[in-house]
Amino acid sequence: MASAVHRFGELPPVDAPAHLGRPAPEPPSGAPCPEREPALLFSGVTHYYGDHRALDDLHLSVERGQTLALLGPNGAGKSTTISVLLGLVHPRFGHVEVLGRSPRDAVGSGRVGAMLQTGSGTGLPPGVRVVDVMRLVRRLYAHPAPLDVVVERAGITTLLYRRTDHLSGGQAQRVRFALAIAGDPEVVFLDEPTAAMDVEARRAFWKMIRALGDEGRTTVFATHHLSEADQVADRVVVMHHGQVVADGPGATLKAAVASRQVRFVADRADALVLNALEGVTDVQVRGTTVTLNCLDADASIRALVRSGVDFRDLEVTGAGLEEAFLALTSTAKRPEDERQP
Amino acid sequence: MNALVAFGRFEVGRLLRSWKFLVITVGFPVLFYMLFLRDHSSGKIVYAGVTWREYLMVSMCSFGALIAALNAGGSRVALERAGGWARQLRVTPLPAWSYVAVKMTASMLVVLPVVLLVELVAATFGGVSLPVGTWVGLSALLWVTALPFSTLGVLLGFAVSTEAVFPVVTGLLFVLAYFGGLFTPVSSMPGALQVAAHLLPNFHHLSLGLEVLSGRTLAASHWLVLAGYTVALGGLIVWRHHVEEARGVA
Repeated sequence: MASAVHRFGELPPVDAPAHLGRPAPEPPSGAPCPEREPALLFSGVTHYYGDHRALDDLHLSVERGQTLALLGPNGAGKSTTISVLLGLVHPRFGHVEVLGRSPRDAVGSGRVGAMLQTGSGTGLPPGVRVVDVMRLVRRLYAHPAPLDVVVERAGITTLLYRRTDHLSGGQAQRVRFALAIAGDPEVVFLDEPTAAMDVEARRAFWKMIRALGDEGRTTVFATHHLSEADQVADRVVVMHHGQVVADGPGATLKAAVASRQVRFVADRADALVLNALEGVTDVQVRGTTVTLNCLDADASIRALVRSGVDFRDLEVTGAGLEEAFLALTSTAKRPEDERQP
Repeated sequence: MNALVAFGRFEVGRLLRSWKFLVITVGFPVLFYMLFLRDHSSGKIVYAGVTWREYLMVSMCSFGALIAALNAGGSRVALERAGGWARQLRVTPLPAWSYVAVKMTASMLVVLPVVLLVELVAATFGGVSLPVGTWVGLSALLWVTALPFSTLGVLLGFAVSTEAVFPVVTGLLFVLAYFGGLFTPVSSMPGALQVAAHLLPNFHHLSLGLEVLSGRTLAASHWLVLAGYTVALGGLIVWRHHVEEARGVA
């Protein structure tokens, strides 16, 4: 079977950028121009868990070969998005395609690999050696990657003859990464692959994820570390309350979330006036304490001085992740608003 | 198909290599056989021409099959699902139904050696002696009719949480075994319990074995009840599966 991605053990051609995949295998339906359709497609996807709206009219399209980071706080809908892409969750409304077919079919065809969150468990069957699990999972795919390549790639050479219940958390994560790529998949989903890892282990994982993208595999990973999204992904999609609130290259988003909080005490503070100040995205007034969320703290403070508001005890701090997401939510509407004379 | 065979071999191998599980599964029925053998005069007729040592052999086969099935299915499946392995398999090309199919098969494959071992102990230490054809027929019958136990085990693995699965399995084990007449002949129980026994699968599993030993024809009612349990419990597994699919395996 021909493939859009470079098979393990092959070197990528020198003349072509790895991200431009070669023609994808002809689907049995004979769909036209398979390489033109996106690898992943969400249109108007909404899903509820009970009353909780986990995905809210989600639209997203991911090109083949792209490395995409899903960034967002807990409960933003990242895991649900990945579960939907894997066919583990059927959304209540909307349409989802993976490689031009339903998620279930894509998984069944063996062109998808995934590393899931496992909660307290290891995600591995107890009572067997790592190599036994690796051999089993390779047999489940029609065209698996060579075992030695997968093992080397995931850095589990020394773990192969260890029993799965004798692995540390980080070691189990490496083994699960190996399982995700064992089938030589075209699309790889990683749900918080570096959760609970130390910095060194996390960096090693970043290298592994980047290598997937370099081979032309479409890679989607969830994270709540901005730096991780920024350093590993071609494209960062920020999710909040089941929606995409920002979408772009990591560097752009990083600049956007470089927001600050300006806090001061004012006896007579008018939230409306403060909200209109340059660079202010949010105002909170508690008694006499005022907190401004600012995209550009310098500009906001100059505007504050000009406004004549009587303030004291000024304090500027970096915003946390939550505030960064709020800032991003408002950037989506900001450019137009700001240019109004 | 290759994938299914590979997964089946992996699961059966894993089950057979789990020595703690095997010791408990095989140990209890054998131990109880030896203990209860001394209780009564073992040559006493307790059921239409069947001696106590023979009765006990069949009932401990039934008990062993029940332990094997409830642990292989219930406890192990519940733990695996909680640990994330079942979910990992769902994102491989392995079809969703194959997990249940392989678990049922593995559970049934463990039941057979348990039945054979109890029979071996009964023949060696219990002085039970039967024609070869009867041994073969009895073993096959007790094995095949253990299907509702395997179904129950897998259902428990799907429906009961990890915290609850051990008490539920242990509780069910003793309720089904005791009230099904595995420790004491049902005929020596009070009337109400005799009626209750007829509702439990182990009574019918036991009765089929006893009918073979006494040379009677096998009553259709036993087959019907066991088949009914299998269908009903299997239906519940399918239903649980659909509920999970709709809610999402998240």
